[in-house]
Amino acid sequence: MGILSWFKYRSPFGIAFMLQRITGVVLLLYLCLHLVYLTSLQSKELYESLTSLTVSKQFFVFDSLLILCGIFHGLNGLRIVVHELGFAHEKRKPILAVLVVLTILGWVLGSYILYTALGD
Amino acid sequence: MRLLIRRFDEKSYWQSFEVPVKRGMTVLDALFYVRENLDPTLAFRASCRMGICGSCAVKINGKPRLACETQISKFKKEIKVEPIDNFKVIRDLVTEFEGFFAKHKKVKPYLIAEADYENPVEWLQTPKELSRYYVFSLCIKCGACASVCPASATLNGYLGPAALVSAYRFNEDSRDNGKEERLKIVSDSVGVWRCHSAMECSEVCPKQIEPAKAIQLLRRSLLR
Amino acid sequence: MRGFEPIAWIFQALTGIAMVFLITAHFLTTHANHEMLSYENAVSRLGSFEYKVFYFFLLLFVTFHAFNGLRAIILDTDGGMRRKKVVNAVISVIALVAFFYGAFLLSRF
Repeated sequence: MGILSWFKYRSPFGIAFMLQRITGVVLLLYLCLHLVYLTSLQSKELYESLTSLTVSKQFFVFDSLLILCGIFHGLNGLRIVVHELGFAHEKRKPILAVLVVLTILGWVLGSYILYTALGD
Repeated sequence: MRLLIRRFDEKSYWQSFEVPVKRGMTVLDALFYVRENLDPTLAFRASCRMGICGSCAVKINGKPRLACETQISKFKKEIKVEPIDNFKVIRDLVTEFEGFFAKHKKVKPYLIAEADYENPVEWLQTPKELSRYYVFSLCIKCGACASVCPASATLNGYLGPAALVSAYRFNEDSRDNGKEERLKIVSDSVGVWRCHSAMECSEVCPKQIEPAKAIQLLRRSLLR
Repeated sequence: MRGFEPIAWIFQALTGIAMVFLITAHFLTTHANHEMLSYENAVSRLGSFEYKVFYFFLLLFVTFHAFNGLRAIILDTDGGMRRKKVVNAVISVIALVAFFYGAFLLSRF
């Protein structure tokens, strides 16, 4: 079954593990894209043409999904750090529940901030 | 009750059996019923029938459990029984455990200590010292943890949750002097570092040992 | 401490914790108000010493965390573990290229 077996688990923790991997890879690809994107800062025209394309409402869906990936990966990462230091294993269910709520709140807030900044 | 069993004999296929249900009946009882009354060729592993030997771990409705400790009344419609994942299937529900036990042996799961056999004395241990490892000594090597561990699924060499639990259990024993030897083994790149806290092992362990916690505590002792 | 793995593990955790704050700060700086994204503002921000230090550490943490994470994923497979040295070497090289490219971009302002 190979690496597909990373994605077949059913407990909420297994799902969190799977999503951590997927969002991690998405963020890694974004990091590479971001570094390439920043090359455009060498030229005003290029930078402005790129920002006018990407900092826009058409791109909002992607940005919002990226915020979701980032917030989930960050918060879930904090949860993993706590557990990997050997703490709170017995309380892992409520901790995961809080994480889900915080992720959704963070996502909505982050998307709202971005959307407002995009203006009309 | 309908019992769907994933059988394997050269190739894998599902077979359905109708089993009469009695009060207190376990999935293991149902498997015995099938073998004794419906199909004598059905192969499965079982021994103690009381959750101690760890032989009868199978996947029941998608989750690894001990067949002897799973009541049939728990399920409404049908029961799907499959061999546990991440182990090579030999026949029907019987899986190959050689590699699993070899990994267990690798972590030296015994007390390493100097003993004076000429003048033997009792090795005293306080209840507090016992409580440091007691829960981890309950492992019955059923393989449920390794069957759901994502790292065990893709990396054959990974020591896996059960072996690492054993390593932690003996390392925390006040009578043991083999801590350094074991830490050397578990700190290998196929040791504790392959655990990414998917927690699946702790979720399925029939003895509620929390193997994931043992691995992290082992990891913590490696930082010192 | 035994070899690279425990160091990689602890740094993965530390950089992760640091990035939760650094990336939140980065997001709020650039997206709370999009005037901050204008060419002039971006260039002047990257030219200031404080932001240079901030971005330098963000770049350092993010490249380590991202590529060490990728390394962990690859080493979780039989094929990856068999070629552990190659995987470590190749990923280190890619991470260093990404880091130095980012640092080079940063040094231009």
